[in-house]
Amino acid sequence: MLDTAREVPTPEGIELSLRLAGPVSRALAWLIDLFLRLVVFGVLGVGLGMLGKLGVALMLILWFGLEWLYPTAFEVWYGGATPGKRSLGLMVLQEDGTPVRLSASLTRNLLRAIDFFPFCYGVGLIAMLLNRDFKRLGDIAAGTVVVYREPATRHAAVPEAAPVPPPVPLTLEEQRTVLDFASRAGSLTQERAEELALLAPRLTGTAAGALARMRLLSIANFLIGRGA
Amino acid sequence: MKQQDFEARFGARWDQLTGWLESAPGPARKAVATGLDAAEVPARYREVCQHLALAQDRQYSAELIERLSRLALAGHQRLYGAKGTLLAPVGRFVLAGFPQAVRAQLRYVLLAALLFFGPLLLLTGALQRYPEFAYVVLPAEYVDSFEEMYGEDTRALGRKRDADDDAVMFGYYIWNNVRIGFQSFAGGILFGIGTVFYLLYNGVVIGTVTGYLVQAGLATNFFSFTSGHSAFELCAIVLCGAAGLRIGYALIAPGRQRRVDALRGAAQAAMPLVIGSAGMLVMAAGIEAFWSPRTELPAAVKYGFGLTLWLLTLAYFTMMGRRGAA
Repeated sequence: MLDTAREVPTPEGIELSLRLAGPVSRALAWLIDLFLRLVVFGVLGVGLGMLGKLGVALMLILWFGLEWLYPTAFEVWYGGATPGKRSLGLMVLQEDGTPVRLSASLTRNLLRAIDFFPFCYGVGLIAMLLNRDFKRLGDIAAGTVVVYREPATRHAAVPEAAPVPPPVPLTLEEQRTVLDFASRAGSLTQERAEELALLAPRLTGTAAGALARMRLLSIANFLIGRGA
Repeated sequence: MKQQDFEARFGARWDQLTGWLESAPGPARKAVATGLDAAEVPARYREVCQHLALAQDRQYSAELIERLSRLALAGHQRLYGAKGTLLAPVGRFVLAGFPQAVRAQLRYVLLAALLFFGPLLLLTGALQRYPEFAYVVLPAEYVDSFEEMYGEDTRALGRKRDADDDAVMFGYYIWNNVRIGFQSFAGGILFGIGTVFYLLYNGVVIGTVTGYLVQAGLATNFFSFTSGHSAFELCAIVLCGAAGLRIGYALIAPGRQRRVDALRGAAQAAMPLVIGSAGMLVMAAGIEAFWSPRTELPAAVKYGFGLTLWLLTLAYFTMMGRRGAA
């Protein structure tokens, strides 16, 4: 339904839904990571600087690690996300929805060099915009996707009301519509909920306003089988 | 079945699986906490998948479907995302996987070697006759700085007089050389152009420097510096290049696959070469920083050391991992 949702079929015959992350949130995550890396380098760098020549050597190696290995280390051993991605609720997965593997993570992070080309992810951004799954070149080669960890809209449970059977038989699709209305009712304003309830006169009959809303909630309660 | 009954009947079983999945991975500790034995998890996961399919088909509320899909996704990731410890694969990789991968990509390795050693040898030879050509290829200061680094009065070979000490250079070589290796691999995704450029460029520069220093009579100094780390470093350049060419060629001629799929397969096949090369470059950096600049060792010792490493490297790539390989 949504073009940023990607369905992944599993061997069990069901489809898992992954929600893809776009360029903006990924860029923000990268900026946070960059900041964190600079802080780590700054703090450790001051300490290493006091060690003299050996410290300089360690600083160069540290920077090498932060530049090339930091994303892979976090993606593979820390739940698929660098701290920046984690703070924005993002994570890296294989396209089949499983955790990212070491070689895939290395591939996507080494190819970062080309995605960054010519400056500030020029190539990567173009690739992401041309690609259905917001993949930069590294993601395409590694077969990985960046997704949101949790669904953005958490559906609420259907609010409790005295169950009432619908006055006419409902198709599955109509039942689903009533249920969706009921689970959203809590997040709508009273007025909007009443307005929406008026759109189903066959179910609400002559009732109007708050009564029509309650009537739909009651039907929803009946549909999920409360009080049966 | 109404949704309410459905949830009442199976809710506890879902919660059990949720609890098992949420507790950290590892074989021993879960069974006590959740009452679910690890051996039952796959069956329980398939049950949840079936319940999810039912819930979707029966148009149960979005909340329930979401709860079940989240559970199914977590189970899917745990069951199919097999992750082992790192140490055993590392040993296997060094003893067999890396040389096997190199042999499997032999065509690309040979092509990369040609692109790199071709201009290197060509320029080394050409500069014996036309030494001034070095100034066409490289800026004059650059050529002069090389003369200084390998001149007769240098105290550490391969360094300028005011250069830093061994440890600093070690850090620098890692930071710089491994990065170049990674970049020449990554350049392969531009249809191989980036990789070809890196290989030719490095071949031309190294060939020019070699040729110029040899004709200037500094061959002993230069080779006694470079011979130690040359085996690891030059082979690693070629292997990173081969990895880049592999993915570049997959994009140019994907065969009977979509370009995306060909690229993915190529990246997977090429990755061992890049990882192995990075290891070789780190070892080369160690030799280059701590062994190669020593002027107190006779040149013959350093040549012998370098030659031994070349023989060992070639033997490693041709002979290791033969047994048990398909």
